[in-house]
Amino acid sequence: MSDTTREQPMTPPKLLRRLDPAISTAFACIILLLVIGSFYSTSFLSPEYLLQQLKVASFLGVIATGMMIVILLGQIDLSVPWSVAVGGMMACAAAAYGPAGEILAIPFGILCGMVIGLANGIGVAYLRIPSMIITLATNAVAQGLMVVYTGGFSPQDSATSAMRYLATGFLLPGVPNAVLIWAIVGAAAVFVLTRTTFGRSVYGIGNRERAAYLSGINTRRIVLIAFVVSGALSAFGGVLLAGYASKAAQSMGDTYLLPSIAAVVLGGTSILGGRGSYLGTVAGVILITLLQSILSVMQMPEAGRQIIYGVVIIAMLLLYGRSPANR
Amino acid sequence: MTISDASAAPPLFRMDGVSKRYGGVRALENAELTVEAGRIHAILGENGAGKSTLIKIMAGVVAPDEGRMLLEGNPVSFRSPAEASAAGVTCVFQELSLIPDLSVADNISISNPPRRFGLIDRRAQRLIAEEALARAGADDVHPRALIKDLPLSRRQLVEIAKALAWKPRILILDEGTSALTAADVAKVFSVLKRLRAEGLALLYISHRMHEIAELADQCTVFRNGRNILSFAAGTRTDSEIVEMMIGREYSSAFPPKPERATDKAPPALECRKLGWMDSLRDISFAVGKGEVVGLGGLDGQGQRELLLALFGVLRGTTGSVLVDGKPVALESPKAASDAEVGMALIPEDRKTEGLMLPMTVRENLSFAVLDRISSGGIIDRDKEARLIDDMVKLLAIKSDGIDVPVGALSGGNQQKVVIAKWLMRQPRIILLNDPTRGIDVGTKHEIYQLLRRLADAGAAILFYSTDYDELIGCCDRVLVVYDGGIVRELADDDITQHALIASALNVEGKTMETAA
Repeated sequence: MSDTTREQPMTPPKLLRRLDPAISTAFACIILLLVIGSFYSTSFLSPEYLLQQLKVASFLGVIATGMMIVILLGQIDLSVPWSVAVGGMMACAAAAYGPAGEILAIPFGILCGMVIGLANGIGVAYLRIPSMIITLATNAVAQGLMVVYTGGFSPQDSATSAMRYLATGFLLPGVPNAVLIWAIVGAAAVFVLTRTTFGRSVYGIGNRERAAYLSGINTRRIVLIAFVVSGALSAFGGVLLAGYASKAAQSMGDTYLLPSIAAVVLGGTSILGGRGSYLGTVAGVILITLLQSILSVMQMPEAGRQIIYGVVIIAMLLLYGRSPANR
Repeated sequence: MTISDASAAPPLFRMDGVSKRYGGVRALENAELTVEAGRIHAILGENGAGKSTLIKIMAGVVAPDEGRMLLEGNPVSFRSPAEASAAGVTCVFQELSLIPDLSVADNISISNPPRRFGLIDRRAQRLIAEEALARAGADDVHPRALIKDLPLSRRQLVEIAKALAWKPRILILDEGTSALTAADVAKVFSVLKRLRAEGLALLYISHRMHEIAELADQCTVFRNGRNILSFAAGTRTDSEIVEMMIGREYSSAFPPKPERATDKAPPALECRKLGWMDSLRDISFAVGKGEVVGLGGLDGQGQRELLLALFGVLRGTTGSVLVDGKPVALESPKAASDAEVGMALIPEDRKTEGLMLPMTVRENLSFAVLDRISSGGIIDRDKEARLIDDMVKLLAIKSDGIDVPVGALSGGNQQKVVIAKWLMRQPRIILLNDPTRGIDVGTKHEIYQLLRRLADAGAAILFYSTDYDELIGCCDRVLVVYDGGIVRELADDDITQHALIASALNVEGKTMETAA
């Protein structure tokens, strides 16, 4: 990090100064994608289509929220795929145990995700294992446990009606419940990140862990909590996905790892930690979802999509990841 | 008067008008140095006198801004340490630079291993190592032994052997003995004397005056980046040398010191037989309420560790710490800054330890008081704004509002933010680690005034500084630290440049006084 004293920058109007260039870029890209999409099909701009996209984006949005908190710390959570799968599968599994299971299905699924997050957090904060390694390892362990549990086949249990309602129902007319949930999770994230000591500490640790520690912050506890939250949100995303599809599946989380990281980074959150806002993550999630949608409308094969994600992430890292002063 | 008359053959090495600036700071200015073969040349000077820069330039670590270097009368310039070594100028650096998990032979040839068909020739490498070890007087070290299995003194000899493997004509030793015990030092000395007899030129940097007296043929004193005087060893007394190292007038920009009251209350901070690994030994002292106590001594004698130990950063400290007469367990910065202890540490490096540069002034200022301005984990923004407002006014922090990144502020204002951040906790014991380094004079003066005001308001202040003027001007008492222990305590009028430097070098107090 280059930290020479900089010249006092010229001060643009406050609103402009507050808006991260990455976020405006992301929103500009969203509009661009919509315009491009409308050339393929006029239905691209219809309210039904947009609402459908928003609903699909909600699942990614919930998962990316947890990822964002971890990335703000300067860490990463690679256990997302199987945290999602564990959440969905364990919720469905609990549903098989009578009425009590039905009620406890959702909390149980989330709890299992929190256990994975707890293992990640202990590994990173207390055992000082690099997050890239420990989360990859817990992901593998979770995968193994799920394969043992299901025998390698898709589990037969189906989602509870509550799960289906959360993912596909309408509490408010016209607004899918999934979107509502993302809005609630997002609002909570904004509040936690900007108004609480936990949020401040996350940004502080992401910027300079040593300075945060010397300031009397219990850095280990913050890191631990962040990973537990990330695990919980991944599992919650899995619960919603299982509700959406009526059942859990083996590889249901595999397609969420790279998009969740991409969404956070596209939204201007520094991959090195310490910088980024939730509005950016919202933009990133919508952008990624639209991109996916357009690529499938264009009948781009899966391999092509993967290549595009990867290239987009690298390009964004080059643009924003290298300039910590660029705020 | 400066250089010995070199009329006939050119000297082995000559440095002419060499200057080096770091930003606005002049590290070395118009420096001259002449090194003769077969002699041991000692370089003396206090902290920041330019010794390290001089060595770095000679060894090719940094390039000079101006001036030239002559090797046997031919101009040379080194772009890297390897180039300098190839030309015959090799440096044994202060920090041990050996890789613990490699063998002695691997380490000795690490930057230039002998090659055969593109692969490392292990046999040739071993021969090189054996020869170099023999020259360094470490024949008992096996070339295939791993560095991590060797005791410290042997590692130092391997370090010298590594330098000798380049077959240098000038060998630079930067604090080559600081890690060694007396017996090991004797061993290294005999090696150095033999190398001198073999015709090498040795440049020896040390803070230990008795070592210089024993070894050196020639001495050069540096001060403020300039060479002050070169003289044959033994022609000046220790006291005269110390005078040369100080040699600047003392500016009074400090607030007056109050009369010290003899207080019967237990001291705000007391430390009994504090120790930590090899860096701190048996440190006992007390700081009363309203007292400013300085930590003096040369850089890196354990002052920094002492402050970190008090603040609960170091693990495995021994001894006890008492606050207001009651023993406290300082396990973490959090525990040390708790209300009942009330300690604050202004860290040494504001950019990595004190601040989060990309974050705003507001976020930085409130970071250490998050627990006090929040309830149930939710920050009370009004309370935060109020506290910050007061502090910005109190310290006269100049910035474009409190929502700009702190990195956009000048160095002096950044330092004020670090101090303000901790004052927001209203600490009763304030530890400062060189708080005025690299900031402008005006801000320095404001900080001096502030420290005295805080002390007058009842705070106990422990203040490490590498600037002797500050210690003299600011402190009621100064503890001089040498080699991890407190060697001398100076109070009131006894705090003089002379006394500070003499005790920092651990020169015998009595001879100093009679000489002065």
